[in-house]
Amino acid sequence: MIGAIMNAIDNFFGRGESAVTVPPLDGALKPNRILDDTDKRYPLEDVDCLAESGRKLFATSGRTVCVLGPKDRWTSLCKVDADITCIAPIGKEGLGIALASGDIVVHGGAEDGKRFRAAPDVNCITAMIEKDGVLYLANGSASNASEDWQRDLLQRNASGSIWRIGLSNGRSELLTDGLAWPAGIAIDEKGLVVSESWKHRLIRLDPFEPKHTETLYHDLPAYPGRLSASPKGWWLAAFAPRSQLVEFVLREPGYCARMLEDIPKDYWVSPKLQSGRSFYEPLQGGGVKHLGQLKPWAPTMSAGLCVELDGNFQPVSGLHSRADGVTHGITSVVELNGTVYAASRGHGVVVRVPVEPAGSRS
Amino acid sequence: MALTDTLTRWRYRLVPDHLVGEVLSKRWIDNAIPLLILLAVVCAFSFAMPDFFGPSSISDLTRQWGEFSLLVLALMIVMVAGGIDLSIGSTFALGNIVALALIAVAGWPMWAVVLGTLACGAAVGLVNGLLVGYLRLRAFLTTLVTLIIVRAVVDMLLLNYSVAIASTFIDSDSWYYPGEGSVFGVPFSVVLTIILAIIIHLVFSRSRIGWQVLATGGSRRSAHNVGIPVRRVVCATYVVSGVLAALSGLLFASRLGGAGADTGVGLEIMALTAAVLGGNSLGGGRGSAAKAIIGSITAMIMVNGLIRMGVPAGANSLMLGLVLFTAVAIDVRWIKNLHKVVSKVYVSPAYASLPKPPGTDSYSPYAVNDKLAPVTLIGLGEIDGPEDIILDDDDNIYTGNRTGDVIRFFAPDYKQHEVYAHVGGRPLGLAFDKNGDLLVCIGGMGLYRVTKDREIEKLTDETNRSWLSVIDDSRLRLADDLDVALDGRVFFSEATVRYEMHEWPVDGLESRGNGRIICYDPSSKSTHTVLRNLKFPNGICMAHDGQSFFFAETWACTVSRYWFDGPKKGTVETVIPDLPGYPDNINRASDGTFWLALVGIRTPSLDLALKMPGFRRRMARRIAPDEWLYPNINTGCIVRFDATGTILDVMWDRGGENHPMITSMREHKGYLYIGGILNNRIGKLKLKSADKSWTGLASYWGQS
Repeated sequence: MIGAIMNAIDNFFGRGESAVTVPPLDGALKPNRILDDTDKRYPLEDVDCLAESGRKLFATSGRTVCVLGPKDRWTSLCKVDADITCIAPIGKEGLGIALASGDIVVHGGAEDGKRFRAAPDVNCITAMIEKDGVLYLANGSASNASEDWQRDLLQRNASGSIWRIGLSNGRSELLTDGLAWPAGIAIDEKGLVVSESWKHRLIRLDPFEPKHTETLYHDLPAYPGRLSASPKGWWLAAFAPRSQLVEFVLREPGYCARMLEDIPKDYWVSPKLQSGRSFYEPLQGGGVKHLGQLKPWAPTMSAGLCVELDGNFQPVSGLHSRADGVTHGITSVVELNGTVYAASRGHGVVVRVPVEPAGSRS
Repeated sequence: MALTDTLTRWRYRLVPDHLVGEVLSKRWIDNAIPLLILLAVVCAFSFAMPDFFGPSSISDLTRQWGEFSLLVLALMIVMVAGGIDLSIGSTFALGNIVALALIAVAGWPMWAVVLGTLACGAAVGLVNGLLVGYLRLRAFLTTLVTLIIVRAVVDMLLLNYSVAIASTFIDSDSWYYPGEGSVFGVPFSVVLTIILAIIIHLVFSRSRIGWQVLATGGSRRSAHNVGIPVRRVVCATYVVSGVLAALSGLLFASRLGGAGADTGVGLEIMALTAAVLGGNSLGGGRGSAAKAIIGSITAMIMVNGLIRMGVPAGANSLMLGLVLFTAVAIDVRWIKNLHKVVSKVYVSPAYASLPKPPGTDSYSPYAVNDKLAPVTLIGLGEIDGPEDIILDDDDNIYTGNRTGDVIRFFAPDYKQHEVYAHVGGRPLGLAFDKNGDLLVCIGGMGLYRVTKDREIEKLTDETNRSWLSVIDDSRLRLADDLDVALDGRVFFSEATVRYEMHEWPVDGLESRGNGRIICYDPSSKSTHTVLRNLKFPNGICMAHDGQSFFFAETWACTVSRYWFDGPKKGTVETVIPDLPGYPDNINRASDGTFWLALVGIRTPSLDLALKMPGFRRRMARRIAPDEWLYPNINTGCIVRFDATGTILDVMWDRGGENHPMITSMREHKGYLYIGGILNNRIGKLKLKSADKSWTGLASYWGQS
């Protein structure tokens, strides 16, 4: 009762939970244009997830898995019967492919051709990782498909879950649920690390005591997505920036509900993988073109950001593409052979950036 | 949803939210709390003592009040200039004893007594004024010292003259008149006080010296910087204060005819309480005679009421102290927080439901195309914000820019340009009148004319004030676009009366009918408002019948027609009810139709927000303007329509390469010239099927 009254008061004054604050891009995440400035750009339509296996780079595009060939050309590796939601290396040679239907298909390696499934209603697999014959899955939402991530955010859901599948016996087990769109998963010596997108944080959970969680990095200025290991630490792909307007709209259930109902998805006030394609999309004050230019600091619904994390999951530096950039919606980052590959789903391109000593970019 | 929408619509139609902010932003709102306190005090005492406001009690109270409120007025004048005068109680006592001594002991005639007493008060005030104003001593300490010194002087005078005064009978009717006489049944002192209060009010509100006093109190440094003789002003307030205090003492002497050691003791605290209770700020700059009067009545009723209720003397002072304490606290909080409250409540969005927009797909009359792609650019990077464009007979281009200039680009290649006239403000709409003079609507200034000799003349910057408007809507804030009728009358739009030029997005957020169309008649040099409550009226263009014009309402996404003459005089008809975007300027096309600029396109998310005023109000409060949901003015287009409202042609710049937003276009000799208020170029587009000899000037005023 008191909580409800306090919430109403907070809502009236715009304090507490109702305060619309987004941390500025500063410190380790000071903006730059590295993602746009690189000239190593490998277009691949609707590229989503990257994976490294056997020193080769794999990428998904719709129903196809592609591999980056020697002449920096994409060649098709295999085609599957449903849209691919993510891929992950399995064993030394294999590649696990998660489908929008919820099935996981293994391509190559010791388990070639095997199909796994966590549970009948798990069909929003956003990220996977395999270690020692066990596959860990992040299921983004219990009610929305992975393509419907914006709806899941605007519904303020927290129905995501983490699963474990034994590759030898195919037995699956629910580790934890009630997560707000887990979109990335990593394993270090202390346990699992999951990026919980709608709560803008990275959490660690112990696979043997999964209800116990620890927040590693909280209040990110963007929605964290997939994680991948690098020699010095980790890479985090942040697929969309947070914005004050979206945070405000999330606190307006009436507007949110009518928007979801009446307005086509492309024109919602919500984070996007790419924005500004249509004049029916919402425009914010700072996004008005002045003297024929869109300012790089303009508030935007989409941007490109890869965060370099140290071994303790603390930010070291970032690779950015700002409001006026052309490398938005980074859904996956992989470091391979001393270079960083980032998949920009928004603009349908994979960019290659050389690795520099930590912290030297800013 | 329909029911909720209906309820919301009625809620926002019936409750005028915007008035709260408007009332709170008025200067007289400072009187509201003092007046409420006064009413509370009156109610409380008339409830506690039913005969407190009876006739006999009133007559006694009012005489005292006359004297007392003179002291409060004296203190108020000093406070408004940023000072404080604690010596008024002593000066009051001095005036009392001097008047008595002069009439009784020296035997001066009445007029000389008055002059002498006032001179005494002025002398004390002058000492204060010299010390505080010129020598910059602290007002509080200085007047505290003069309080003690003057009190000592009064005591010495008492020692010498009190016996003589007491033993003399003053045989002069004129002496007793100020204290006991009445004017039409009203005590003389009350009449005198009210007359003085009115004079003080007029001085403060309407005279140069009054404004100088207020400015000095508001910000001494700024007042000095603008050339106000700050020291002289401060000194003068103390002199006036001394004179008023002495006058009050004279009235007291005339009424009671006796001098004692306790005369005027503690009066300064009571006067200070009254002044602050009335809402006069201790910090200076805010105060008025009305506040002093309200405060003095409140304090008077309280003090006398408490005495009559039998509260012991000590408790009485304690009460007064507590009231002073509370009043000061309220005063400080009020001044500190008022502007915050105003900034929170001033923006008050209204319910606005726009009709379903026509699409822009290939079946729609508004189908997206790339017809603006072959545009050639004029003045790229050299012109900052050409809102409107016009061409003269020699094909030169005239346009306004952001820094308040009218720029002229020279024909034929438009490579060279010059500042044709520096008019200031933000030049927006342009038109040529019959003589070839350039008429300019200037945002922030009004309607101006630049003659052929480049002389700048103001035509009008104000219109008639509406009777029921809380804010003063007589000044023109955002004159936007104009057109000239055949008889020379100028019709121009004022986009909003609630906001300044640079605050147009806030007006869009409100989407209330805050704008109007105004007519300036050069034959009588008069200005009057023609149409009110329009949603950001923007472009205006004369129809060919000479009796009507078309006007665009930007936030309503409509084009309407208004007849100012002829059989349909005074009627408004909507010509295009459902534009897919936000209309800006309208101009004539060579084939008798009209060009219309759409500055931006409606977005479904904002259209939905327009139906949810509460959402927009919270958005305005919670997030920064740069983050607000805006109308999408990054893509615009040009529309050609005929007098019936049929859409004949649409031209887009699909990628927004050169003309992301378009605020105006002007056809001239087979070309279309395009401008945008946030753009840095003018576009020139060859029209395929246009009359190559047609010019706007000839279309309006015949071949010249």
